[in-house]
Amino acid sequence: MELPVKQFQTRAEQAYVDLFAAAEQGLPGAGNPWIADLRAKAIDAYAALGLPHRRVEAWKYTDLRSRLTEALPLARATGVTVTEAELRQALGVEIADLRVYRLVIVEGELRADLSDLASLKTAGVEVVSLTEALQKPPRWLKDTLGKINAQDRDPVVALNLALMSGGVGLRIGKSITLDKPVHLVHLDGGEPASVVTRSVVLVEDGASLDLLESYGSLGARELQRNAVTEVEVGNKASLNHIKLQREGEAAFHLVTWLVKLDTDANYKAFQFSTGGALSRSQIYAAFTGEGSTLDVSGALLMRGHQHCDTTLIVEHRVPRCTSRELFKAVLDNEARGVFQGKIIVSPGAQKTDGKQMAQALLLSETAEFDSKPELEIFADDVVCGHGSTSGQIDEDLLFYLEARGIPEREARALLIQAFVGEAVERIEHEGLRETLLKASAKWLGVTFD
Amino acid sequence: MLEIKNLHVNVDGREILKGLDLVLPKGQVHAIMGPNGSGKSTLAYVLAGKQDYEVTAGSVTWNEQDLLTMDPSERAAAGVFLAFQYPMEIPGVATMTFLRAAANAVRKARGEPELSTPEFLRFVREKATALKIDPEMLRRPLNVGFSGGEKKRNEILQMALLDPSLCVLDETDSGLDIDAVRIVAEGVNALRSPDRAMLVITHYQRLLNYIVPDRVHVLSDGRVARSGGPELALELEESGYAEFGDAARNGAAA
Repeated sequence: MELPVKQFQTRAEQAYVDLFAAAEQGLPGAGNPWIADLRAKAIDAYAALGLPHRRVEAWKYTDLRSRLTEALPLARATGVTVTEAELRQALGVEIADLRVYRLVIVEGELRADLSDLASLKTAGVEVVSLTEALQKPPRWLKDTLGKINAQDRDPVVALNLALMSGGVGLRIGKSITLDKPVHLVHLDGGEPASVVTRSVVLVEDGASLDLLESYGSLGARELQRNAVTEVEVGNKASLNHIKLQREGEAAFHLVTWLVKLDTDANYKAFQFSTGGALSRSQIYAAFTGEGSTLDVSGALLMRGHQHCDTTLIVEHRVPRCTSRELFKAVLDNEARGVFQGKIIVSPGAQKTDGKQMAQALLLSETAEFDSKPELEIFADDVVCGHGSTSGQIDEDLLFYLEARGIPEREARALLIQAFVGEAVERIEHEGLRETLLKASAKWLGVTFD
Repeated sequence: MLEIKNLHVNVDGREILKGLDLVLPKGQVHAIMGPNGSGKSTLAYVLAGKQDYEVTAGSVTWNEQDLLTMDPSERAAAGVFLAFQYPMEIPGVATMTFLRAAANAVRKARGEPELSTPEFLRFVREKATALKIDPEMLRRPLNVGFSGGEKKRNEILQMALLDPSLCVLDETDSGLDIDAVRIVAEGVNALRSPDRAMLVITHYQRLLNYIVPDRVHVLSDGRVARSGGPELALELEESGYAEFGDAARNGAAA
């Protein structure tokens, strides 16, 4: 098929293609035809699509073409020294104190000096640095990279595949259960740069994993992040996948999770966002085996001119699967929150049970929340539903708390915390749940016992 | 002592209280009765400081402090407690968390040390038992899924916990069966003390069989139309509010 010739509209749109042309020979895996082929197809796909803009339905509320005015140079792994104190500062103390296996990626490079590689190996987990593995990939990585619920029609995902410079491959072998979560830390922002990483997480049959991915900045410098995590949850396997986004105020954050669930699999995700100038979190999830469940929830707390978009596309390709989505947005000043939730039920995917809910709490007159549910149902024996609400703090509830002696500021915080808490409560891991409640209290500028 | 002088209050631009005068000395319990629309609940809300209740004239002082210039939380710290006619349901806030936040907030504002966790738990458990509140209820979100009786008992529990000096009970008996009225009344009576004043707002005389007031005031059209001893409540039970121009019959609302 001949790709349509694309007339680039903006400098940035063209710049990414130029960036690829200039960097191609220096990108990891350059000598490997398998990788070269993946990258070439991906940049062609991007070139045909261009940067998404508001007349593209899936990007109606997040006009990347107008917001992304230039392409920053690709990050180079420089082995910059990151001290424990800087790490704590970037993550937030409450996150840094969690008991986890830590994997730290700086400027795309998996940093052995900051990661618990030895103890993970002892625990039976296979970890590879993508920067190295692209040169000489292990079989399992070659079989999966770029193939798990692939989204060739998404220009951001395509651009990621073309330009990926690092990330990790993580393989939890059959029936392995770890004693503590794995914390994948993405840390950038030293110099203004585009950071493009891709990671692959395989939770094999019967295994279970708690995975926390956190995205932070080392400074307030400009950062254009495009990260993809490919996830396969095997038969009777289980993954609790948490994302924490607290990058600096000059960061662009485009992060996509591509998820595939096998039979009787259980995938539970939670996304917590407070950072970035513009962020878009996408989850594409596909049920490919019967009897599986997916529960995706999240909370975003935004102020100033922050823009935060959550886009979920859940494909029920087989019968008897259940999906649940609950997102909570707290928006102050001129912040804008977007929730797009699409549920696709394929012909024959009977007994599908899919529900989604998005709720926003607007703390100012100028904050905005856009919610767009889409149901595409091609089977007749299904239960699907969606809902969306948007409102302000209930003055009667506020008065009730104040009448009990709780000062207004604290009373407001308590109500916002309660609103967010309804979603956070869905996190099963107690330490992570408590940590995120603390993080939201911190955003509110209060502490609760 | 609570002193209300010539209180005029507008709600949504309509005058509801039209020159109300009332004196409630420390240690006494006064009942406020009156037909629907006479301004009973408005009085309760104004005392607690609800916004959108616009005081256009008059004064309200509690122990010589001007209540009208205070925020609702400052009034609570100063000892004012309103037991709500319709307690709010707050999903996501555990009842215990709320009780702790409220208790600590008023203690802090009064310059008292915060209760330690064991002290707090012991206190709450003791009061809850007396009010026949299932401890399991305290773990649930505030008032969510509580029956009418449970909500009212929870109000009295809060009242005990916050140790107020001026208690305003707004139609605490509404929607309760006779057993629930008795439990709530016992809880209130346990808090009667020479240091505490109580204003019991009720439409019906029934509650006053259990909480016997020192004085009864009848509100009509935003003013105290008549005051008397406890016998006045019994008289009203016989005759109804006809002589006070039952505003409800004229289509007015509270």
